[in-house]
Amino acid sequence: MRIPIRMIDIATVFFWTFLIVFFVSAVYSVKDVHFDFGEPQMDVTSDNKVIFSQPVSITNKGFYNIGSFNISTEVSDKEGFTITRGSTFTPVINKNDVVTITHNMTIDVNDLLQRDKNYLFNDTELKIYEAVSMRIADVIPVQGSTNFSMPWGAPLYNFTLGKVEYIAHNLTHFKVVVPISFENRAFFDLVGKIQIQMYNSIDIVVGEGQTNIEAHHNSPYNGHLELYVSMGGMTESGHFEVYFLTSLFNYGPLVIPYG
Amino acid sequence: MADANNDFKKRVRNFTFKALKATVNGVLFYGIYFVLWMYLAPISQMVPGLQQMVETFVMVYILLIILGELTSKTVFQYFFNMAKAMFVIGYLIFSFKSGIFGLTFQNIRLMIDFRLFLVIAMLLSLLGLAKSVFQAINYMNERAECTSI
Repeated sequence: MRIPIRMIDIATVFFWTFLIVFFVSAVYSVKDVHFDFGEPQMDVTSDNKVIFSQPVSITNKGFYNIGSFNISTEVSDKEGFTITRGSTFTPVINKNDVVTITHNMTIDVNDLLQRDKNYLFNDTELKIYEAVSMRIADVIPVQGSTNFSMPWGAPLYNFTLGKVEYIAHNLTHFKVVVPISFENRAFFDLVGKIQIQMYNSIDIVVGEGQTNIEAHHNSPYNGHLELYVSMGGMTESGHFEVYFLTSLFNYGPLVIPYG
Repeated sequence: MADANNDFKKRVRNFTFKALKATVNGVLFYGIYFVLWMYLAPISQMVPGLQQMVETFVMVYILLIILGELTSKTVFQYFFNMAKAMFVIGYLIFSFKSGIFGLTFQNIRLMIDFRLFLVIAMLLSLLGLAKSVFQAINYMNERAECTSI
């Protein structure tokens, strides 16, 4: 019986030594893994979606490879509705290696507006959940996660139509000048058109016009739109229907009364 | 009279030897802990109570090592070895709980999955426990054989 006991003894000591040395060295080597999150960049795709790209550089100077490296991000609104989520996976980061990956996330602004038009006109906050997971030495799963909020700037903040000016154009028509003002507080530039239809008090279209807009992010926009209206159909009051056709989203009608 | 004197001297010599061996083993174990702790020290700053937890383990384990050595060549040595193995199992269950270790550092929640490590460590401890049981059986067997002869 002594030989089997001796064999068990040797095996136990060997495996304990291996386990402890492996565990301690794996944990110790975590301190030699560095993450460098670069400056996020924004781009617009051909199908009018906003892409956020964040370069992430991982330097692994530890003793072991890092397996199943994954970055995932989830953006949701105040009510917890998921606006977008993105995930970037790298199977292996070898030891003594530097890997740079780009973490992409796509936001479809049209989808966002389907849920709530307030994103166009009011600033709000978006909740962001960010998680980084990996397998240290390919066997010990580790996950770090954090929650934070990011301000959302409205692209058409404080959108208003100013005092309408009526100028006689000819014997039958007025030229109507509608001042337009808003502030683009979004992180993207706003390029596109604004269309306005003018309705009289009995809901008949009396005139329509459009103008091009170009509002850079974090800057105010002040312009005007001209439309020609038949004198016969004019009433003292009515409403405008405003349509926004931009490279990132289409929205309308926004009904604004006049008179 | 002379035989009794010799027997006493032999016992003292044996006990001194056992005490010396126990001290060496204890110091060796503490030395290993000391070296390994140098590698784990950076993590202990992030995990509150880690050092205290590990030190408690080391203290109890060294105590069991010393008791095991002092009672060597008796059946109690194997009882202490069994206690050592059971203590490791109990300690692992108590400290690692489900095997998923979570901590919050500022706004970052960190989660480490030690389940694989825990399973291997438990299996090795069970192997150690089985070894001690075998050793105790073997010891009793050998004693029974000596008595019958």
